[in-house]
Amino acid sequence: MSALSLAHEPVTGIRHGKLGMWIFLASEVMFFSGFFTAFIILRNANLSVFAHGATELNWPLAALNTVNLIVSSLTMAMSILSLENGDKGKFQLYLGITFLCACGFLVIKYIEYTTKFSHGIYPGTSSFFGLYFTMTGFHAIHVIGGMIPIGWMLAKSFTKRGYADTGRVEILGLYWHFVDLVWIFLFPVLYLIF
Amino acid sequence: MAAGHSAGEMQKAYIKIFSALMVFTLLTIVAAKFVHFPESWGSLSTVLHVTIGLLIAVAKAWMVVYVFMHIKFDNPYIRVFIYVPLFLFAVLVFALTVLGGPTL
Repeated sequence: MSALSLAHEPVTGIRHGKLGMWIFLASEVMFFSGFFTAFIILRNANLSVFAHGATELNWPLAALNTVNLIVSSLTMAMSILSLENGDKGKFQLYLGITFLCACGFLVIKYIEYTTKFSHGIYPGTSSFFGLYFTMTGFHAIHVIGGMIPIGWMLAKSFTKRGYADTGRVEILGLYWHFVDLVWIFLFPVLYLIF
Repeated sequence: MAAGHSAGEMQKAYIKIFSALMVFTLLTIVAAKFVHFPESWGSLSTVLHVTIGLLIAVAKAWMVVYVFMHIKFDNPYIRVFIYVPLFLFAVLVFALTVLGGPTL
């Protein structure tokens, strides 16, 4: 069996790892679809509760987080490009910025959550806040899930051997862009339109 | 790197998409917070706000998937992994809302 057929799926010619990530992302779309469907149904049944709940949220902080994730998506894409071009320095710089953006996102989320808790707002306060904490909480877990391999690759790139597996970074990039994608919908749905 | 595209071209495409995403984010905020429809429009104004907000979000998502996730450049088979779950999501929403879901 040739090396190509081992690394790539024979019918589509797509790398196994990449195909696996796309299948995983398809399941993730369905995972978040469940939350969005619950949101639509509960919102239609409790319009006033949802409208009031959304006014309690801090949309400027969420907008800052949106910018954070968009910048991190750009730097992730640029880091892949840099690694493909063999520019180790730029790869480290862009991946480092991506990691810092992810940290920034979590810090802002922490501020948001603690402010809510200090105002006596918890997941059990209303159906809106139940969904708000569930959806943003799961999204934050996904951010943390992305930060672990980003941090690992970044740390590895500083070792003597360095890091040169562009395929894996590209697969990680797909996951990271998906995290951005979910937030693109969470931001207007939870914070802006009600 | 995407087949048939130089690093410079890819970089330019990324910057363009990044700029568009920032502009669209600003548009989402302006449309939701600073555009007010007449009160006489009633619930239509809410419907318009929701529609505009979601249309902008879909446009942003399409840009991320198309360029950042390389759907534009990659094997077309990959599109199946986007269309199928989106279709199932549409079926789920349609079944539970239009066709009648749980009574709350």
